[in-house]
Amino acid sequence: MKLEEVAERLGLEFWVRADPEVEVRGGYVSDLLSDVLAHAEAGDLWITHQRHLNVVAVAKLRGVAGIVLARGLQPGPETLRRAQQEGVNLLTSPEDAFDTAGRLHRLLFP
Amino acid sequence: MRWYRADLHIHSVLSPCASLAMSPRAIVEAARSLGLDLIAICDHNAGENGTYARRLARGTPQILMGMEIQTAEEVEILALFPEEEPCLSLQEELYALLPPVPNDPELFGDQLVVDETDEILRAVPKLLLSPVPLSVEEVVRRVQDLGGLVIPAHVERVPGGLLAVLGLFPPGDWPAVEISPWAELEEVWARWPQVHGRQVFRSSDAHFPEEIGRAWTELYLDRPSFAELERALAGQGGRLIRPGPAWKEGKG
Repeated sequence: MKLEEVAERLGLEFWVRADPEVEVRGGYVSDLLSDVLAHAEAGDLWITHQRHLNVVAVAKLRGVAGIVLARGLQPGPETLRRAQQEGVNLLTSPEDAFDTAGRLHRLLFP
Repeated sequence: MRWYRADLHIHSVLSPCASLAMSPRAIVEAARSLGLDLIAICDHNAGENGTYARRLARGTPQILMGMEIQTAEEVEILALFPEEEPCLSLQEELYALLPPVPNDPELFGDQLVVDETDEILRAVPKLLLSPVPLSVEEVVRRVQDLGGLVIPAHVERVPGGLLAVLGLFPPGDWPAVEISPWAELEEVWARWPQVHGRQVFRSSDAHFPEEIGRAWTELYLDRPSFAELERALAGQGGRLIRPGPAWKEGKG
């Protein structure tokens, strides 16, 4: 399913709309960037509380479909700028990580 | 110049997670008996007990002021200072920023300021084992503005290690890292190639008296001092930094 549609169905807000047409194939939930580097897969939508600007580099290295900050957390200016520069989709979810991931799973794997 | 032995990451009874036996006096006595030349007492977001350890030690061993600061990302950073004033003023600033969570000594342990005679001066009310709402970059800037040195603590470790939490070095200069007492340097290099070319410290991260001495760093310096450590970090004049051997559990 395309990220644009996922965002609409889950009520996610785009902060950086770099490539809304990208295909979301799964999801990954983690705040440890070393863990994401080792285990997230290309096409995953990555749900996290980590707002350090390194999330952008890690997202790019793993080729995830986008970063979703959970529980309404907002990205800082440096993270936002870096995501714009690198063309990484950055979104926020008003719901917490559990509910966001649960709804994403039901949407992708009904 | 000659080789000196340093342990720049020792917790005292001011850290809730450290033993009540870790008074400034006990730490100084252990460091002396182990022949450590240079130490730092780095409590969580606090450095006050270093003051009393320095009064007692009178240069044997040399003691740097220090703190282990927990950033907003939950990365732990060692901040080292040559003098008391900048360390204590940063401690005060961080304390005001800590979340208003009271320490429950039953649950987390006591947070005690203890003087050089083992007298308890006060208990710190807020839980020190919490992240301050400052990013890694904001913490680094504050420490450097105060003339301090920054060494990210146990970088490969979960929780709290810079590389484990943030995956790679953030932008900026990271001339040195600390690795855990038990970490094999070869394995750290294999997992994190970006550590190559940086100075590597190893420390005991002692929370109990018997853990002091389980790990150390060897420094080739003119004398064991903050200024010499700074020169070694800058790679000046043949000064060297090398981690001691990895600690093997059960070997004391």
